[in-house]
Amino acid sequence: MERGLIVFNHVKEAFKAEKVLKASGFQIELTIPPKDMVKGCDLAISFNLNERLAVERALMENGVQYSDIVDVVKVSTKPLDIVKKVDYGDTIMFRCGSMKITIDKRDGIILNISGGGCPDVPYLFLQLVGKKIFEAKNPTSIGYSLCAYSLGKAFEEALKFYENSGRWNSSS
Amino acid sequence: MKTLVAGTVPVDKFPYYVGTPSFDGKNLVLGQKVLPIGMGTLSLYSAAYLTIAHLKGEPPTLMTVGDVGKADGSRILYQKLTEGIEELKPDVLALHYVMPIITLVRALALKLQKINPKPIVVADAGFMYAFKASKMGHVCNIFTPDPGEMAFLADKDAVHPAYLERHLFEIDSTSVESLIEKVKDVEGLPKMLVVKGAIDYIVLDGRILFKIDDPMVPYLEPIGGTGDTLTGILTGLIAHGLPLEKAAYYACKINRIAGQLSNPTPKTRVNEIISNIPKAIDLVLKI
Repeated sequence: MERGLIVFNHVKEAFKAEKVLKASGFQIELTIPPKDMVKGCDLAISFNLNERLAVERALMENGVQYSDIVDVVKVSTKPLDIVKKVDYGDTIMFRCGSMKITIDKRDGIILNISGGGCPDVPYLFLQLVGKKIFEAKNPTSIGYSLCAYSLGKAFEEALKFYENSGRWNSSS
Repeated sequence: MKTLVAGTVPVDKFPYYVGTPSFDGKNLVLGQKVLPIGMGTLSLYSAAYLTIAHLKGEPPTLMTVGDVGKADGSRILYQKLTEGIEELKPDVLALHYVMPIITLVRALALKLQKINPKPIVVADAGFMYAFKASKMGHVCNIFTPDPGEMAFLADKDAVHPAYLERHLFEIDSTSVESLIEKVKDVEGLPKMLVVKGAIDYIVLDGRILFKIDDPMVPYLEPIGGTGDTLTGILTGLIAHGLPLEKAAYYACKINRIAGQLSNPTPKTRVNEIISNIPKAIDLVLKI
């Protein structure tokens, strides 16, 4: 199946496009742009090229801006989505790539965020630390970078952990 | 020595600033604006400031601008730094949070290569990512990665830690030494790496010079900004005139002891650790 690649000027737009296209039922994957188009902190979306017109329409109707759509033979490099855990007893840290989020197991409060290098990381620290994980916004909805993407993966695992530990109902 | 710290601050539209802020132990005052120390460039700057002040050196200059991730401030920072570096003439240059943009960091790297004498360049966070992605890291003297970022450096084609090879992420914190082996084959990296983690490693030309695991302070990793303070202390010690290897070794020790003095938990904020830096310097350097 021939794949097309949507390239963006900003990672934030890729986050938006992912939401829009998934909600519209397209089979898409987040991926790295082709080598000659990489700027440094980028995210692209691969999709079935046969659906190009429908994809373009969905993006346009939802006000998502992209810089280009290109044909690709093979897209293989997806951003990292593996999350590791370090258990400190009452607290637990989740890490994806270089991004780490630590929560209190008892009440789900986000105690700390560390790692990363993009400028929205200290911004996300200020926005999220001290909030309960089940009330806080996903970093991908307020961040702009690949670090926000990685933190989002760690955040989702932390939220899943908290919900599965059965404390959701007792704390909310 | 003249020291310049450059990096963004997480305040939208915060105007470009270059100068020496005053520091009251909790906040930095930049002109009319007060910024609290959280993680990021201000943690690095505060750690460098306190280290240099304690060793009675010339206060570091801060070059900064607001950026919450939109890259607007980062573009200004790259431009001002590239245009102004010759005039500012720092002996030590610490580069920190910024949006990695390959074309802009390449222009900065080319400028740095032309300057004589070239400043000692320590790159961390987004600047480290950008130098690595552009294969221009050899212009820097030191990178300060954590184990996750070591995996990124070891992956020669990765342009960001979010894209590193999965098998490298699997081994990162469990086998930092195997990643150190792998980075020997990667072009465009500095000669020295200070790998910060449960065990700190000082690496020169692919060879481990020092492994530092004492004191062991396990709660430092989740605390946002403890890597920034290490880079700041390192910057300060280099500005004091210590050779890079010694500065790196002592910086790791001082950061650990400043952490230990704070009796940290995963909830501890980095400013509690920063305030212990002078005491930790005294203990490590026996002043």
